[in-house]
Amino acid sequence: MYAGPISRLIGELSKLPGIGQRTAQRLAFHILRADDDDALALAEAIREVKEKVGLCEVCFNLSEGPRCRICEDERRDRSLICVVEEPADVIPIERTGEYRGVYHVLGGALSPIDGIDPEDLKIAELLERVDSGVSEVVLATNPTTTGEATALHIAASLRDRAGANGAVTVTRLASGLPVGADLEHADEVTLGKALAGRRALG
Amino acid sequence: MPGSIKTQAVVLRSIRYGEADRIVHLYSATRGRIGAIAKGSRRPKSRFGGRLEPFFRLNLVLYEGRGELLTVTGASTVAGHARLRADGGALMAAGRACDSMLRLFDDGEPNQPAYNLLCNYLSLLDADPAAASEPGAALAFRLKLALAAGFSPELGSCTRCGEAEHLSAFSGSAGGVVCSACEGDGFPMTEQAHRFMVEALARPLAEAPEAPGRVAALSDRAVTETLEHHAHVHLRAVA
Ligand SMILES: [Zn+2]
Ligand SMILES: [Zn+2]
Repeated sequence: MYAGPISRLIGELSKLPGIGQRTAQRLAFHILRADDDDALALAEAIREVKEKVGLCEVCFNLSEGPRCRICEDERRDRSLICVVEEPADVIPIERTGEYRGVYHVLGGALSPIDGIDPEDLKIAELLERVDSGVSEVVLATNPTTTGEATALHIAASLRDRAGANGAVTVTRLASGLPVGADLEHADEVTLGKALAGRRALG
Repeated sequence: MPGSIKTQAVVLRSIRYGEADRIVHLYSATRGRIGAIAKGSRRPKSRFGGRLEPFFRLNLVLYEGRGELLTVTGASTVAGHARLRADGGALMAAGRACDSMLRLFDDGEPNQPAYNLLCNYLSLLDADPAAASEPGAALAFRLKLALAAGFSPELGSCTRCGEAEHLSAFSGSAGGVVCSACEGDGFPMTEQAHRFMVEALARPLAEAPEAPGRVAALSDRAVTETLEHHAHVHLRAVA
């Protein structure tokens, strides 16, 4: 439909998540109309991120060097590991300002439907880290079906190894009603968990 | 023409879409496979709550427009399967069950026996997560599902010559057990594995026989190869 370079750009853009053919066309024409400087800055930013950003060798978070900033930070408590699915999940936990430990990024969640098995995630690497003097593992995978399956699998693996590495405490983020939600719309599973995890007030 | 439909369905798969939406693959009692979009369903204030996660059995109201995807406009819970969700083995078993549904039934044809079977298996996984995620129950589900889809392996007599004795092998391409004279491309089948498959199909799912190691492996291979040759789908190993 369009000449080579344009249709190639549309093709590349439409591979991005949530971008359909029509949005890809709109973006391509936006880039065509943009200043050369702006358009090339975008190309350069993509190239730079692919060249400079890799995965931290310890926690598999995004990193500009062999180790990420959090793993390099001497003040972080290395005996506490928070396990998340994706690098993007580190950011909201950091923003709470409540967490002083380190992270472990799995690179996804277990999902038989998508063919994602334990070997496809950084689970073996996590177990190895736990063997070297960790006191608590916080399972902060998403409260979704796949996130839950992943947390249960890791908890079971850690239990199986408990003999080898002494007592490591395994905790799961509390789940329940989100702030701002209406009780009448809560589903039965969420509400059941919220009830089971209720706390005394005052 | 555009309009609303009501149906009961199980969520097989749920995919995050855009900023706050999700696309769900459903298996419904009245329309078979349905793909639908649930707008805003990932917002904390969504009236769907967590109901559109896999393994929820729901009463749904769906709007059918001109597009391929329907739109979820209402959802109430028939069964949330909370106990299943707290057991790692049961979650994986339920995931494989839904994966089989997705692969075996990919059109909009209703199949009430298949729907009932799925609902039944999810309730069993919820009632007794440990027992129902054992290979025996998981394979019984798969055999019954193959039957519901019209691809049940022939187990009564040699699929090639009709001989009722010396059924010593199984052939995926023939779609059933074969006798020692007709073995050909088949693989050796033990008497125990053969008996397991016969009983698993005959008994209710809740009373599925146990499948110790080798029995599970051979039965799994028999169902998988039958479905590969005849339904052209590849299912992941049960155990
Ligand atoms: Zn790191
Ligand atoms: Zn024969």
